[in-house]
Amino acid sequence: MKFVKFFVTALLTVLMVYALSRPWGPAPAMGAFLSPYTGFWQNWEKKYTASDEFVIASDSLREEVVVRFDDTGVPHIFAQNDYDLYFAQGYVTAKDRLWQMDLQTRAASGRLSEVLGSGTLKIDEQSRQLGMNFGAEANFEIAMSDPRSREALLGYAAGINAYINNLKPKDYPVEFKLLGYHPTIWKPIYTMYMMEQMTLNLAGRSNDINMTNVLAEYGKDIVADLFPDYPKFEESPIIPIGTPWNFDKVPTPIATPILEQSDTSAAVFNGNIAPLMEGTPKIEGLGSNNWAISAEKSNTGYPILANDPHLELTLPSIWYQVQLHSPNMNVCGVSLPGVPSVIIGFNQNIAWGVTNVDADVYDLYKIKFKDSTMAEYWHDNQWKHTQIREERIQIKGEVDPKILKITYTHHGPVFSKTDADNNTNFYASKWIGREPGNSFLTFYGLNIAKNFEEYREALRNYVGPAQNFIFADNAKDIAITVNGKFPLKYKNQGKFVLDGTNPTDDWQGWIPFEQNPFVKNPERGFVSSANQSSTDPSYPYYLNWSFAPSERGVRINERLAKMTNANADSLRHLQNDNFSVMARSILPFMLDILRDNPGTSTYNAGFKILSDWDMVNSPESIAATIFETWMQVLLKAIWKDEFSSKSLELAMPSRDRTFFMLINEPDAKWFDNVTTPQVETMPQIVLSSFSATLDTLIARHGNISPAWQWSDIKEAEIRHLSSQIKPFNAPKLKTGGGASIVNAITKTHGPSWRMVVELGAEPKAFGIYPGGQSGNPGSPYYLNMLDKWEKGELNELVFLKDKEDSNVRLTSKMIFKKN
Amino acid sequence: MGMILNYFIILIAAALLQFVAPWWMIVVVPLVVHIWRPTSYGLSFLSGFMAIATTWLVYGWYQHDASAGMMTERIAQIFTLPNPFWLLAITVVVGGLVGGFAAMTGFSFKMLFIRSSNR
Repeated sequence: MKFVKFFVTALLTVLMVYALSRPWGPAPAMGAFLSPYTGFWQNWEKKYTASDEFVIASDSLREEVVVRFDDTGVPHIFAQNDYDLYFAQGYVTAKDRLWQMDLQTRAASGRLSEVLGSGTLKIDEQSRQLGMNFGAEANFEIAMSDPRSREALLGYAAGINAYINNLKPKDYPVEFKLLGYHPTIWKPIYTMYMMEQMTLNLAGRSNDINMTNVLAEYGKDIVADLFPDYPKFEESPIIPIGTPWNFDKVPTPIATPILEQSDTSAAVFNGNIAPLMEGTPKIEGLGSNNWAISAEKSNTGYPILANDPHLELTLPSIWYQVQLHSPNMNVCGVSLPGVPSVIIGFNQNIAWGVTNVDADVYDLYKIKFKDSTMAEYWHDNQWKHTQIREERIQIKGEVDPKILKITYTHHGPVFSKTDADNNTNFYASKWIGREPGNSFLTFYGLNIAKNFEEYREALRNYVGPAQNFIFADNAKDIAITVNGKFPLKYKNQGKFVLDGTNPTDDWQGWIPFEQNPFVKNPERGFVSSANQSSTDPSYPYYLNWSFAPSERGVRINERLAKMTNANADSLRHLQNDNFSVMARSILPFMLDILRDNPGTSTYNAGFKILSDWDMVNSPESIAATIFETWMQVLLKAIWKDEFSSKSLELAMPSRDRTFFMLINEPDAKWFDNVTTPQVETMPQIVLSSFSATLDTLIARHGNISPAWQWSDIKEAEIRHLSSQIKPFNAPKLKTGGGASIVNAITKTHGPSWRMVVELGAEPKAFGIYPGGQSGNPGSPYYLNMLDKWEKGELNELVFLKDKEDSNVRLTSKMIFKKN
Repeated sequence: MGMILNYFIILIAAALLQFVAPWWMIVVVPLVVHIWRPTSYGLSFLSGFMAIATTWLVYGWYQHDASAGMMTERIAQIFTLPNPFWLLAITVVVGGLVGGFAAMTGFSFKMLFIRSSNR
C-alpha cells in the first residue's frame, strides 16, 4: 500500500514536471515560463533615472567607455578608440534589441528552422538559394582585410557577446522565452547578413520574366509603347534636368538581340534545381524621401537637410538611435541593429541621408545545360563547369540537417521555372547582393566626414543597395549622389531575360564612381529624391527603365521650389504633406466624365464628395478613400483583361502610362474589355469602375459614413516582427498619407525614421521613429515615441560635445571598465 | 505544528533558492523537507502547495505591480485571458500543485522506510 501511494504520488509529480518542461504546440515549456523567478514576469524594465549608474567590466576592452542615456532612452557613447566605441555600441544595442538581431540574422542566413522548426524551412531554403551566405562570406573576407572595418566588426561582436554572456535565463528577452530557445554567440559575419537582408529588401526583385512574357505575347512595338523607358505623363528626376554630364563616357557593351520566347531550348529534365521564387512585384511605399535646402532658402543662414526612409514598419523598430563619440568622431543618428556605425545622421559639420535607387541590379540569364547532370553549361562558345555549393540547414527536432545542393554558374545560382506547357527553363540570377565590397567604409567615412570632399570619398566604397545619398554641410554645400555599384550595361540590358550563353550579356564592369549621377549646389537651391527616375534620358548610361512613381518627387520639388526663409519646422511640415498629386493629375479629368453621366443617389453623393475634395489624404477624408480605391479598381479594369488572364505571368503597364493614355489616347484599344462581346470605351470604363468602387466600399463598410474615413480604410499597422504575437503590436493608428503621398504611410510601410537637421556652427537636429529604443514590450521605451510620430511631431535630438557635457535630458550612466 | 513549520521552511528555502537555481527547485525543496520532516499525506500536500503558491504569488504580484502590468497585460492577451489576475491565478495554482505533489512524494518516500505502526 505504501509502495502504491509512493508510486502514484511520484508518478504524478514526475508527469507534472515533465509536462511543464516541454513545449506544447506553439506554447513554450510552462514551468520556466510561468515561474515569477525565471519567466515572463521578469521581462519589464524601469525608466532610466539620473541616479542610476551601471558598471560593466570586460576583458576585451582597451580603455574605459562611458555611455549616457537620455530621456528617450538613446545612448550617447564616449570611447577612446574605435574598438571600444563599437564594443559599447554592440553592447547597448544588444541590451535593447537582442532578439530582433538574432531573428533578422537568422532570417538572412537561412537559420530560422534551427530554432523554429520545419515551419520556416521554406524561408531558409530561399535565403540559401539566393546566395545570401555567398554574398555575406565574400563581404566579410574583404571587411576583415581593412583595419577600420575589422576593428568595428570585432569590437561590435565582442560587445554583443559581453552582453549575452552576462545574461541569466531569467534575463532573456521575452520572445526567446515564448519561442523556447536561447541567445547564442554573435559572430562578426552576422553584420554582413544584416546588410544582405537590407540589399534583399531594397534591391532584391526582378520583373524580367514577366517582361519577356509580355514581349512574347504582344511583340516589340506594344512593349515599346506600353512600357516606355521614361515616364510619359509626369516626372521630376532626381538630378535636375539640364545638369551637364562633365565626363567622357566609358564604352558600354553593344546591345545583343532580345532573347525571344522561341529561343527556349526547353529541357526535358529538371534535376535538382530549385524553382524560381514567385516574382514579388515592387511594393509601392517601399521607398523614401530626402532633401536638403541651401542656405539661401533657409532662415538659419545654413542648409537644412531632411530624410525619411520608408520601410516596413515593425516592432521592435528597424532603427536604433545612437550617438558615437571617439577622438576622431562625434556622430549622431540612427543605426541598424546588427551593424556598427550610424547609417543616417549628422555630425558637427555634415548631415546625410539616403533613399533607395531603383536600379536594375537583379538580372536573370537563361541557361543552357549540356545534359541532365547540369555539370556543364554553354557560355562563350564552350561548355563551362558549374559549381555546387552545399548548404546545410539544421532543423529543430530533427537529427540530420537538410542538405541543399545549389548549382552556380559564373552569373550566380540557377533556378528552374516550368511554364503552362510543362516546359522547364533554367535561369541563373545575377544580383548585386552577391557582389563583394566594403560598404561599411561608406558609413564609417560619412560618420567622420567634415566636408563635401570627404563625403564623396566615403561614397566611393559603396556597393549596394544603391542609395541616393543626400548631403549638406556647414560650409553651406548641398549635394546628392545616385550611388552604388552600377553594372555597365547597354540600354535596357536586363529589362528582359538575358542570354546566358552570350558573354556580351554578362555584367561587364561598372559605371565609374565619378560618373554616377550627382549634383552639387544646383541653381534651384535644393536637392531631393523620392525614388523616382535618377536622371532625365540625357544621362549616357542605363540604370533602369522604370523607377518608383513620380508623384512624391513632383510634390517635394514643387514645394521646395517655392520655399523661402525655411526652418526645420518647414521641412517637418513637408514630411507630413498629405497632398495627392495623383488626384490633381487625373481627378478633374475623371470628374468631367462623371458630371456628364449622373446616376443613382449614392453615385451622385460619391461624385459630390470627390468634387468638394481638397485632394488631401487626411486621416478623416472620405474622398481619399473613394479616390484611392477607385484608382486601383480602374487600373485593374483597364489592364486585367489583357495582362493577367493569360497562362503567362505578365508585367502590367504603369500608372503613369495609364494616366497618359486616359488623357491623351482615349481611343486606345486597351479600354475595351476583351472578355465581353461589346466594345467598351474609355468613358464607360471610368464610369463602371466608379460604380464598382462605391459598390465595393458599401459592401465592405456600409453606406457612406465616417466609417469610410481614410485612416480606417487604410488601417496602417505596426506589427511585431514575429508577425504572430499580436499583443506586442502597436495600438491602432490614425494616419493619413498613402503610397503616392509624401507622407508615405501605407497599411504596412511608412516613414521608419523622420529626421531634420539644421546645419550650422552648432547643428540642431530633430528626429523620431514609430516605436522606441527598447525592443522589450515590458519597457517604458517600447512605444514611447509612437504618439509623437503619429502626430507628425519630432523630438529634438540630444547631441553632446563630450562625456562631461551637461544636458537636462540626460538620465542614467553606464560605465564600461577594463578588467 | 509540524505542518506550519514545514510551510515556513519550504517557503523560505524555496523563495531563496529560486533566485539562484532553476524553477524546479519548487520540486526539490518540498520533497526534501518532507523526507526530513514527515507529517501526513494531506498535510504534506497542503504545506507544499501553500508554500510554493505563496512564493509565486508574492513575487509574481510584485513583478506585475512594479511594472504597472506592461508585460503581464500583454502575456494575458497572448493566452486570451481577460486580465493579468487570471495569469497570476494560473501561475499560483500550477506552482502550488507542483509543490504539493512534490511534498507528498517526499512524504510517501519516507514512509517506505518507516514501519506503519509508527504512524
